[in-house]
Amino acid sequence: MDDIIGRLQNVFRDVFDSEDLVIGLQTTAADVEGWDSINHVNLVLAVEREFKVRLSSSAIARLKNVGDLVTLLGTAARKP
Amino acid sequence: MNAAESLARFKKLRAAGEIASALDSLQQDLRRGVFDADTLDQAGRLLIRHSESFPPEPRALSVLLAGQFTTSWLVGALTAVAWGRGKATLVREGGYDNVIQDLAAVASPVDVVVLAPWTQRFLGRDDRPAERRIEDELSFLRRAWELTARAGAALVQIGYDWERPGPLGYCLSGLAGGRVDAVRELNEQVRRELPKGAYFVDLELVAGEVGRAAFYDARSYHWTKQPFSRVGVARLCEHLWAGVRAVTTGPKKVLVLDLDNTLWGGVVGEVGAMGVELGETADGEAFCAFQREIAGLAERGIVLAVCSKNNPADAREVFEKNPQMILKMADFAAFEATWDPKPEVIGRIARSLRLGLDSFVFFDDSPAEREHVLQSLPDVEVVDVPGDPAGYVGALQAGLWFEAVGVTQADRMRKEQYRQEEQRRELEQGSVSVQSYLESLQMVADVRLLDEPDMDRAVQLLGKTNQFNLTTRRHTAEIVRSMLAAPRSVALTLRLADRFGDAGLVSLVLAMPPGEANSTILRIDTWLMSCRVIGRTVEDYLLNQLVERARTLDYRSLQGEYIPTAKNQLVADLYDRLGFARGADRPDGGREYVLDLSRYVARPSSIKPVNSS
Repeated sequence: MDDIIGRLQNVFRDVFDSEDLVIGLQTTAADVEGWDSINHVNLVLAVEREFKVRLSSSAIARLKNVGDLVTLLGTAARKP
Repeated sequence: MNAAESLARFKKLRAAGEIASALDSLQQDLRRGVFDADTLDQAGRLLIRHSESFPPEPRALSVLLAGQFTTSWLVGALTAVAWGRGKATLVREGGYDNVIQDLAAVASPVDVVVLAPWTQRFLGRDDRPAERRIEDELSFLRRAWELTARAGAALVQIGYDWERPGPLGYCLSGLAGGRVDAVRELNEQVRRELPKGAYFVDLELVAGEVGRAAFYDARSYHWTKQPFSRVGVARLCEHLWAGVRAVTTGPKKVLVLDLDNTLWGGVVGEVGAMGVELGETADGEAFCAFQREIAGLAERGIVLAVCSKNNPADAREVFEKNPQMILKMADFAAFEATWDPKPEVIGRIARSLRLGLDSFVFFDDSPAEREHVLQSLPDVEVVDVPGDPAGYVGALQAGLWFEAVGVTQADRMRKEQYRQEEQRRELEQGSVSVQSYLESLQMVADVRLLDEPDMDRAVQLLGKTNQFNLTTRRHTAEIVRSMLAAPRSVALTLRLADRFGDAGLVSLVLAMPPGEANSTILRIDTWLMSCRVIGRTVEDYLLNQLVERARTLDYRSLQGEYIPTAKNQLVADLYDRLGFARGADRPDGGREYVLDLSRYVARPSSIKPVNSS
């Protein structure tokens, strides 16, 4: 879990070009400057690249905060 | 160096407050091709974010993307590609499927409009017959073209593609009633009606180059109405940039080639003229295929030069004696076999051909030589040559260096003209004075009123002439036609020939009365000349002709202006030299001139009118 959020934090810093961005499980789009619909897609693509997974559109649509994303990635990683 | 390291270095320099060096190092890495399809967008977004720190000179090119799909992902990638090709570029986008409204509302100056249609309406499920569908698209495009011309912008038009063959499948879709057939018919009509001077990005070909399965991403389209994969975006943007370059500065003009392990296998100094690898083996066949490709480029007007570390006699011997050679000495406008550093030699070639380094492409199998040129000559494009010669043709083609909007007769004749220029220079060195040299050329000029048959060549010159160009106005054919239609306007072309050959249409002047049609002032809107005929008193001859024409039309004075650019220093004092009185310096950097026709005395020139002996 810690590992996932650490890697996610680096992805976020890259996508939003903010070196000191800190995310937590409760972080939502409203908390991060520049998290618009375009960057939302960039974020998903970057996450997919970092974790070498492909996320389904329906799963992405259900995400409410970073915590949901961490859970989703945990599930995706456990899949064979 | 990979993309992650490059981005880390950028951020480190930025954090240290060195934004100029940060942008510089990012540009160098983009030139080196460090960024792939996944990271290009990130580099582009960093550039956009720091666009206020772009160097003021040369002015950044302004590009507007107007699309029927979401163009947001093209903005970053196109910015990054442009920077990697050495041009600071500001890319803006219109709203999603808001093309006409956005183009009608263009406020700030735009150099190039990229029109990016999509097939949602053309292939939509409704009961319009096929002809009606095509007509609907064309009438939309015609309006967009008109608005683009009105905004004074050049045009890059993306075509349509069929993405998938649809319900009829591959075999039937290409027949009447099929999706592939419909898209091809539409593309053909778009091509036919496309405004002169516009660049057509044939999406069907680009998608085929990448492969449709990799080029498109259905998920992306459903998410954001952006149909392309990352790979697709990156490659499309390379083609868009080739188009932007074609309609602004024009294509690259010169291909500089190494010899050993580039044109043939092995080192001639070691194995001799007959021992180099050409034909027979697989690698030898690959070198021959590369030579055939280059011979084709020369035929369409690309100037070839050799820059090789070799003894001149060894290098020449291969061309003269090896029967497997496809390229001959006569194919090269410059041949430098020497041990001098290559950046220095390339500079020398540029001076001898009188062409800017930014029209040069360098192809060399040696990574060390490529890096040397990359570092020393920021304007020269360096091809990323693969280790296997079988990949040479593809690597050269992939750069899209020579993409152009039209190949004219003048392009095809260029190789011959540069050779003639060489001979002339040899004669120049042997002549006692410039005057007698010019006389010895036996030059004849044909000055005519610009008419429709010359329009292509005139618009091409307007689009690409940089050095001898007083105002660098990139007029389209439509604008030129409207000038011709204006009462008492004067538009002259000049063709030059001499004892070595025919240089063709090399100079153009466009002039009209400012304001009132009955004005006594004739204002020179545009005056340009091909740099091949610089120093031959063509300008004096053409001014004499212009004055004569102006007098017949009852003008009393000529107005001229000089608008400085990064490249037209050559003509900064042209009007001074020709006897115009210097007027005011304008706040925009331009300078005004006036010539009193009552006092004008015809200038001496070594050129005779055609058909006079």
